[in-house]
Amino acid sequence: MRDARDAEDKRLLETGEIDLLLAGWVETIRGLCVAKMRGAVGEDVAQAVCERLWKELKAGKHRDGKHPFRVIVHSVIGWVCKGWYEPGWQESELFDLDGAAPDESDLVVIEVTLEQFVATLPPSDGAVAELYYLDGLEPGEIAERVDKNPNTVYQAISRNKKRLQEWLEA
Amino acid sequence: MRVELATLLDELARRHARGEPLDVEGLLAHAGDRSDELAPMIETFLVRAPRRTASAQTLAYVRALDDPPILRARVAKALRVDDVVDAIVAACTIQPDARPKVRRYYQQLEGGVLDPAPVAASVWDAISALLGRSRESLTVPHAGVPSASPMYRADRSFEPGDVPALAEKLVEPEPPDEVDALFLGESPKA
Repeated sequence: MRDARDAEDKRLLETGEIDLLLAGWVETIRGLCVAKMRGAVGEDVAQAVCERLWKELKAGKHRDGKHPFRVIVHSVIGWVCKGWYEPGWQESELFDLDGAAPDESDLVVIEVTLEQFVATLPPSDGAVAELYYLDGLEPGEIAERVDKNPNTVYQAISRNKKRLQEWLEA
Repeated sequence: MRVELATLLDELARRHARGEPLDVEGLLAHAGDRSDELAPMIETFLVRAPRRTASAQTLAYVRALDDPPILRARVAKALRVDDVVDAIVAACTIQPDARPKVRRYYQQLEGGVLDPAPVAASVWDAISALLGRSRESLTVPHAGVPSASPMYRADRSFEPGDVPALAEKLVEPEPPDEVDALFLGESPKA
């Protein structure tokens, strides 16, 4: 499945702005690696992921657009995290740019997005969630934007907070 | 008091939306004994969340990926060379007058000129603690100094003693001291 994020990644790949492309993923890579590895070692893993992706991008890989770059990012994260503690793995496979790519069946396909979560909410709570979770506005700014009492916005945020957890647990 | 995972997830989502550092490690620490419950939800969120716009910090990080790892880690922490040198001198209880030598060795190590393999564990511990990185992630295999083919053949070797001005200044090399031992693995003089 394609999603809205892929279009910008594709544009950056086509224009050769690979530093901007990877920079947009750095925090996500760090966060995912720390969560997967359950702690600070995730920072080291994230560094290895970024180094691998950077080398591949510089070598011109992924420009064919066969897979969305986000799918490649998540696949490499999963692959590096899985092999991190295997002896010798980092020296042999990690930096072998000419070696085989991760198996196609390992590629992560993301079917659900945060935008879709927002779209499932009742209209008034959804409008608040969009401004709060997607645009990063403060409750006071949201109240002005949707022309609602700040207290009403806080109540919507509280309901959405529980819904977000349920959506992530599902 | 039981940690509210919904609040921690909300904090993650807000940081993400505002383009701030996510500090997942801090969130897991806040979750305490519920971190194993929280971690998969953080993973799910980050897989489903929109792509972020590159920040000045992440762009600088990517552009520095070609730099040696120690240099990159130091710059990421906004530390000066002297900060790292101070940490090494303190941790290894090196005499203050040997500090310039430590600085020279550290700069060679950071620049990838010095082979990291013989560097003492105590030096690595000091660097790792300050930079927040493991030794393994700070080192790359040492390629050694590239050798060049000789371009000329001399009839006989040049001896510094042949030049009077140089001969006067010739001194015996210093035997290895404790700083050499820490960075080169050589035995210090008795």
